[in-house]
Amino acid sequence: MSTTAPARLPRTVLRLHRTALIVWSAFVAGLIGWLVWLNEITVDAVRAAEAECSRALWGCVDIIEHLDYSGPTGYIGTLTCYGFLAVAAFTGGALIGRELESGTARLAWTQGVTPARWLAAKLIVPALVLTAGCAALVLAFRRGWAANRDLMGDHWAFADVFVARGPATVAYALCALAVGTLTALLLRRALPALAVSVATMGLLNVVLERCRARLWPAETRTAPKPFELPDDAWRLEWGRTGTGHYATYHPASHFWPLHLVETGIVLAVAALATAAAFAVLRRRTA
Amino acid sequence: MTDPAIEATALGKRFGRRGAWALRDCSLRLPAGRVCAVVGPNGAGKSTLLALAAGLLAPTEGTVAVLGTDPASARPRVGFVDQGKPLYPQLTVAETLRMGADLNPGRWDADTAGRVVAGGDLDPGKRIRSLSGGQRTRVALALALGKRPELLLLDEPMADLDPLARHELMGVLMGQAAGHGTTIVMSSHVVAELEDSCDHLLLIGGGRVRLAGEIDDLLAAHTRVTAPARTDLAPHEVVESRTTGRQLSALIRPAGPLPGDWRTGAPSLEELVLSYLRNPEAPALAPAPAHDTTEAAA
Repeated sequence: MSTTAPARLPRTVLRLHRTALIVWSAFVAGLIGWLVWLNEITVDAVRAAEAECSRALWGCVDIIEHLDYSGPTGYIGTLTCYGFLAVAAFTGGALIGRELESGTARLAWTQGVTPARWLAAKLIVPALVLTAGCAALVLAFRRGWAANRDLMGDHWAFADVFVARGPATVAYALCALAVGTLTALLLRRALPALAVSVATMGLLNVVLERCRARLWPAETRTAPKPFELPDDAWRLEWGRTGTGHYATYHPASHFWPLHLVETGIVLAVAALATAAAFAVLRRRTA
Repeated sequence: MTDPAIEATALGKRFGRRGAWALRDCSLRLPAGRVCAVVGPNGAGKSTLLALAAGLLAPTEGTVAVLGTDPASARPRVGFVDQGKPLYPQLTVAETLRMGADLNPGRWDADTAGRVVAGGDLDPGKRIRSLSGGQRTRVALALALGKRPELLLLDEPMADLDPLARHELMGVLMGQAAGHGTTIVMSSHVVAELEDSCDHLLLIGGGRVRLAGEIDDLLAAHTRVTAPARTDLAPHEVVESRTTGRQLSALIRPAGPLPGDWRTGAPSLEELVLSYLRNPEAPALAPAPAHDTTEAAA
């Protein structure tokens, strides 16, 4: 008897969460499509309007830019960054929580697969889908964000822009998956697991956001006279000392070290939560 | 000698660190090939025992062996139908069966599963969420039978079936037991529905085994007696006794020959079970594991 034939667990997971897969694909495709539209169609109209305005006596430029171009680009960054909250809600509520609450997890565990393999499939399949989707979003956002800097009023150190421009987006999504799984396994009810996972991920994000500037040593400049920092510097502290002026700041080149340290921390939390989830499952079932 | 279907030694399960014991000090040995009824009042620990055997719960103390190995290793050979018949509501009947095929590679018997579903006139394209309770039971049983289990654990399987479907599905189960030697363990609190189909009984109360053995042996071990009031029933073990007027009627386990002036009768299974349920203090009759060394004829 070919009991060694592998169970087609990934296919089952995809079939069970078809709707979520469709919604996620539409989300990713929609945001990327919106970015393309902004940078292929809208931007020309904005530039034309800008040319029109510059002939007028007073400027109307900033408002048009904001409404039509930089505003939507900012929204896309916000959605890309905070998408992990939806991932936490989905994982805690639907992916794992509902299964444990309604007993369908027990149905799966009494088929030919062990609970650990079931959980592994429940994590790996969404992890791959999330990684692919987030990677596409990040690449698109990076291009869109950099394409017309003169029309944008934001800064690389803005909370959402900072996350959305690199792998931290993927890390947050994976961490939300792991944290949602762990809370669902601990609480075993969908709605509380949903609430707690979203709250936990929100808290983790707020804490890291507050510590963000300290994740890499900042630079300090002192001078006897007042001075200006470059526009792309992230100014942290400034003022006068007895002998002159000082400013602590992160130059634009600190984006990657800061970003990667934060990504590493988030991934470490994800790994811990995953290990804890498997430990909880192993303790509970035979 | 084949392995027993279930063998538990001092098995106990407590939910939470300070929770009450759902099952305590439970030792039993269920030979393979039997159809075993697990009866007991609500909250007696029936579902806990079945979930432990299915490997869904880890025991707090003691051990349970299933088909000669631990429940985790026996998983592919054990079918389980949960009390609430959980199924994925978003799948159709056909997709549910396809999931059974996907998750039980090398064992899945599509014909059997399809036949059980077809018996209920179910549209395979219908979503599970739109099915009635009885129809869901049918799909859950199809999923459990499709994996061709050597041991089938059913928690209150017939509770929401109409009499016709109950009769038909009971027939399917008995056919499975007779045709493939499948051991079936089913819990119920309707004793009458078990009497014809089961040959082994496990009565659980208060988280402990109160009565275990072949139904015929258990019935033979007990006698219903009627004697004058105030008769001393010792040395026989008294399960239940009641005095009405000048008469004492009791259910006892005779320890030797009974006096000639007692009127005696054989109890029915229902009487036996009810007597034990009404009297939680009655001495348990759970034979030592050595009791059941005879092999099933099948």
